[in-house]
Amino acid sequence: MRVLIVYAHPSAESFNAAILDVVRHQAETSGAQVRVIDLYQEGFAAVMSAREWMQYEDCAVNRSGIERYCQDVSWCDTLIFVYPTWWYGLPAILKGWLDRVLVPGLAFDLPQKEGDNIAPGLSHIKRLAVFTTCGASWWLTQFVGAPGKRTLLRGIRLLCAKGCKTAFGAHYSMDSSTSASRADHLQKVARKTDAFLKG
Amino acid sequence: MKTLVLYAHPCPDSFNAAVHETVVQTLLARGWDVDDCDLNAENFAPVLTEPERRSYHDVPANITPVQGYVDRLQAAEALVMVFPVWNFGYPAILKGFLDRVFLPDVSFKLHNGGVRPGLTNIKRLAACTTYGGTRFRAWMNGDPPRKCVTRAVRYACGWPKTSYLALYDMNNNGSERLGQHLSRVKRAMQDL
Repeated sequence: MRVLIVYAHPSAESFNAAILDVVRHQAETSGAQVRVIDLYQEGFAAVMSAREWMQYEDCAVNRSGIERYCQDVSWCDTLIFVYPTWWYGLPAILKGWLDRVLVPGLAFDLPQKEGDNIAPGLSHIKRLAVFTTCGASWWLTQFVGAPGKRTLLRGIRLLCAKGCKTAFGAHYSMDSSTSASRADHLQKVARKTDAFLKG
Repeated sequence: MKTLVLYAHPCPDSFNAAVHETVVQTLLARGWDVDDCDLNAENFAPVLTEPERRSYHDVPANITPVQGYVDRLQAAEALVMVFPVWNFGYPAILKGFLDRVFLPDVSFKLHNGGVRPGLTNIKRLAACTTYGGTRFRAWMNGDPPRKCVTRAVRYACGWPKTSYLALYDMNNNGSERLGQHLSRVKRAMQDL
């Protein structure tokens, strides 16, 4: 098993860093090969430039400058995102990673003729998981429609293998969290990661 | 009416650039006061930094790094967002505007232990957007950008009159369809 973890939080002391440690540890002890992309630490540039946008559909050149990330995406069969939910969605740096790295020819193929739909390109990815934290409560998150979760577990999942297995774990209402609720959550993340990688 | 136009597309040849131009020109023709914020042209930095994250809840110090943008947002009576949907969400540069500028005490205020909308100065909200996929595909995904605008941003503005003008299936749209959409945007801006 080849696990790619994409992680986005600016602080090494954050609760998200603790979640990353748990997920990485569980993956490594399961015998998987693990790669981690730490977007903040790498200073990933989130904004797609005009040049990138203009060559976006040209599969001969649209990986230039992002080759390493594209290789990681091609390499993995399991993709896990760890991030804080900000404004009900992905942190800009992670959204920018999707925008810039999931290019045509890698993540999907553009319609070949009129009336065609977008064809998935990530059918080698058989497992997709999201571990996140939310300032908002569960109720408020549902009311807004959980945009971050849906962007990944529905939107990106459409590009992955048919029947792609998913897992999701969120600690809601972070601002009223306690050390007990956070410890419980880390245990839950460990259990979910185990079950997710086993099946 | 003072309007902030938040525009997020890197390329001046794009269809979104044409939508943006239609929005700005239509509002100016109505005599509205337009603050045209082209996030890419202004080189807006969308990534919330570690110090910003640490002082996120420290009102009013949290506002200092983005004071200029907060002022522009608080001066607006109408907000129009113009952006393409990429990967089922906002472009990162626009998502980062929410992350960094829609802060505690800006987008919402704590009042007697409850949360209240903070941007009630905004009386009209509109979003003009394009999707690569079909409407059905967007709906299957839960249409995250539509919900974020019409629920989360709308709530922060005190639930104003809102319109969401989307053109789907961009890979299959001909010039006639694109032209019709620009007319629709123009009408919506005349009625905003």
